[in-house]
Amino acid sequence: MILFIFYGSILFFIIAAALRVRRCVSAPIHLHWELYKGSSVYELTEWWGKTHNTFGEKLWSMILDLLFLREFYHRNRNFWYFLYPFHIGIYSLVLWHAWFLFGAKVISIEFLSIWGRLWGHVATGLTFFGIVGIFIKRVKDEDLKIYYPPIHYLKWPFLAVILLEAFYSVQFYFGDIFEDLLLEFHPNVATKAHLLFASVLLIYLPFSHIMQLFFRYYHYLRWDDVPNVRGSEIERRIKEHLERPVTWSAPHIQSGKRWREVASKLECPITEGK
Amino acid sequence: MATERKKIRLKDISIRTDEPLITVTADDLMPLPPPLDQQGKKAPYSPLSENQKKSFECSLDGVSALALPKPKNKEEEEKLVARFLSGLRKLLSQNDNWPFWQPLIQSLESCVRCQTCSDACPVYVSSGNQEIYRPTYKSEILRRIINKYIKKRGKIITKLTGDDIKLNWPTVARLAELAYRCTLCRRCAQRCPLGSDNGLIGRELRKLFSQEMGIAPKELHDSGTVQQLKVGASTGISSAAFQGMVEFMEDEIEEKWGKRIKIPVDKEGADILLIHNSGEFMSWIENPVAFAIIFEAAGLSWTLSSEIYGYEATNYGTWYDDVQFARIALKQVEVARKLKVKKMVMGECGHAHKGLIVIADRILMDEMNFPRESFLPLLEELVCGGKLRLDPQKNNFPVTLHDPCNVVRLMGIVEPQRRILRKICPQFREMEPHGVENYCCGGGSGFAIMNSMNFKEWRENISSRMKLKQILETFNDVLDSGIRKYVCAPCSNCKGAIRDILSSNDLWEKNSIYYGGLVELVANAMVDMKRPYIDWEWH
Ligand code: SF4
Ligand code: SF4
Repeated sequence: MILFIFYGSILFFIIAAALRVRRCVSAPIHLHWELYKGSSVYELTEWWGKTHNTFGEKLWSMILDLLFLREFYHRNRNFWYFLYPFHIGIYSLVLWHAWFLFGAKVISIEFLSIWGRLWGHVATGLTFFGIVGIFIKRVKDEDLKIYYPPIHYLKWPFLAVILLEAFYSVQFYFGDIFEDLLLEFHPNVATKAHLLFASVLLIYLPFSHIMQLFFRYYHYLRWDDVPNVRGSEIERRIKEHLERPVTWSAPHIQSGKRWREVASKLECPITEGK
Repeated sequence: MATERKKIRLKDISIRTDEPLITVTADDLMPLPPPLDQQGKKAPYSPLSENQKKSFECSLDGVSALALPKPKNKEEEEKLVARFLSGLRKLLSQNDNWPFWQPLIQSLESCVRCQTCSDACPVYVSSGNQEIYRPTYKSEILRRIINKYIKKRGKIITKLTGDDIKLNWPTVARLAELAYRCTLCRRCAQRCPLGSDNGLIGRELRKLFSQEMGIAPKELHDSGTVQQLKVGASTGISSAAFQGMVEFMEDEIEEKWGKRIKIPVDKEGADILLIHNSGEFMSWIENPVAFAIIFEAAGLSWTLSSEIYGYEATNYGTWYDDVQFARIALKQVEVARKLKVKKMVMGECGHAHKGLIVIADRILMDEMNFPRESFLPLLEELVCGGKLRLDPQKNNFPVTLHDPCNVVRLMGIVEPQRRILRKICPQFREMEPHGVENYCCGGGSGFAIMNSMNFKEWRENISSRMKLKQILETFNDVLDSGIRKYVCAPCSNCKGAIRDILSSNDLWEKNSIYYGGLVELVANAMVDMKRPYIDWEWH
């Protein structure tokens, strides 16, 4: 039963995450609304014939940001002290699970038991430290508190409980987990509890900010600095939108007509606002 | 030090009161450096008159940017709230709001409420950290309204994700005003580690009010975009009046500098159609004149247009309304197309840069996708490429540079203006911070031209306060009135806002701090000008 829930939650995670990615990727193309960290192609005369930033540069920058949380480091160091261990802890816990599952097939139990435990505990410790720090900040700092919705005050303790529980099962039932879960599929009670919590987490994850962090870098979003050229894919997509009706109701809009008409033909006089 | 004051909560936005939620006092304000450190304490804005209070909504901070009439009765209130909600639904719909749906949703969903952005906001900091001006205040309220009234995910989830905002008329009225307490400078968005853009959320709120409810500041809508679409320019200048101004410019050049220049107007097939903010013709004619002198001296093939829509670069739609924005952008490009020029070049107007070159890029299709660029790279080629004979000694006075948000942070044109100034101004000094980190002039997003009731005072003493502080700090070693200093602001609206803060603090009279554009400095450095181009006459 518990394994059924666990694998179900993995499936749920994959589907929900895919749906969110799809929502992001299939969003209508938006107008060019950019922010620059420094010089852009507009510093050149006849910029339209010149190249914009390369995808490679953006990707590299994204990797560095995600690995080191550079922006938090530079702009909100107090937060970073807790956020960074939390993130590094989470990244290594994800890797730990992958290594563990992979190791189950090829690496000896003794090796896993010593190094796996050490790795797991360090990662858990880092994450736990981050969680406690963030939670205390969120509770004590009035400015942070008034904007933080209640759900997050449940989220952090819940994560802490999962970690404590995970620590307990790895510390005391490591061999059993290995045998029971991976070879025989009969987890013990401690592992069962861990799997149950992990399932809840997996169901929550697609709705969390972790996903947002990735979307931020979605190519066409944050750094969508691609100009529209005649005959391009951008032009094709925009043209589709221009055929849609304008639905806004203020009198000056001329609701009901297509965007193309509303923008280009001013047949009726434009009324003044209130 | 700010006096102890009541902490404003998100839910306070819904409170029904006769008094405003807050009133910013003299004690709250961010202190200014010398010579304004000893200034007597004066409230940043005057209270509205009893009559104004009776007629207009001012329950946010006692300021009225919108002159929003109070609803007559309960039914009218309810109708307005329902219209707000219907507009909000449209804002969140891919179909209705395709132009900004994706960045808006991203901004609404990604915020982790870390408040890293707060200290980046000049309005929040200058006002002494007033909660209502915090970049996230309006955004979080909007998020919670969406949670409770649009998403409807069941009682428990709504409660857990925040359901404390009551959507009533006070909330709607305050949000409308709040959308006009943010200059859309997007410094907060630059600072946000998650890429959430509170400036955009502010703009989208303005759009909801305009496109759904017909609510927008008179200066932006009625006498802004509507007037522009009717007569050709938001200043109301007609084509005939414009032609008269060009003649005046030619006479002025002859009279002052002894040169007879024929300013090209409507020259078909020219390489460049130069398009100015028409406010320049009204308030700072020396700016288009300097352009003409420089372009003629460099032997460029260029022209102005006297065609309706062809002599006005502004597009206030950029700040509050997608439809008005698109209408104006199309009209402007149409002029260039008919004139068969090779490209359009924007003069010193920041939002025209961002609007027509960047944002409009994705509404200009086929033959309307017309080459458009900034004057800055072109001017750099002329100044640094040796096309003009220049003597930097003619500009031997302290000069600092303001970075118009629309040109710099929002468009990435950072260096050409600096290379020009380094070349022609021996005493050029940067203000801090500068470049993409620089602060807004406080007149951004239309504020520079909005003067309803006590709004001008609010702007001068709160939203422009950080700029004032920066200018004074930059010139702190040369405050002596015997030394003339120049704040270079290559944008019409920024220039207006900076003029107002310098003048209301007597900084020209007492400390000789002057302001102006960039081309004026170039013209001032030109070797063959018989007398200095900059006349240091305050206006
Ligand atoms: S907008 Fe960004 S910086 Fe501001 S609170 Fe939200 S996540 Fe933090
Ligand atoms: S856009 Fe500028 S003025 Fe508006 S909230 Fe952000 S920092 Fe403040």
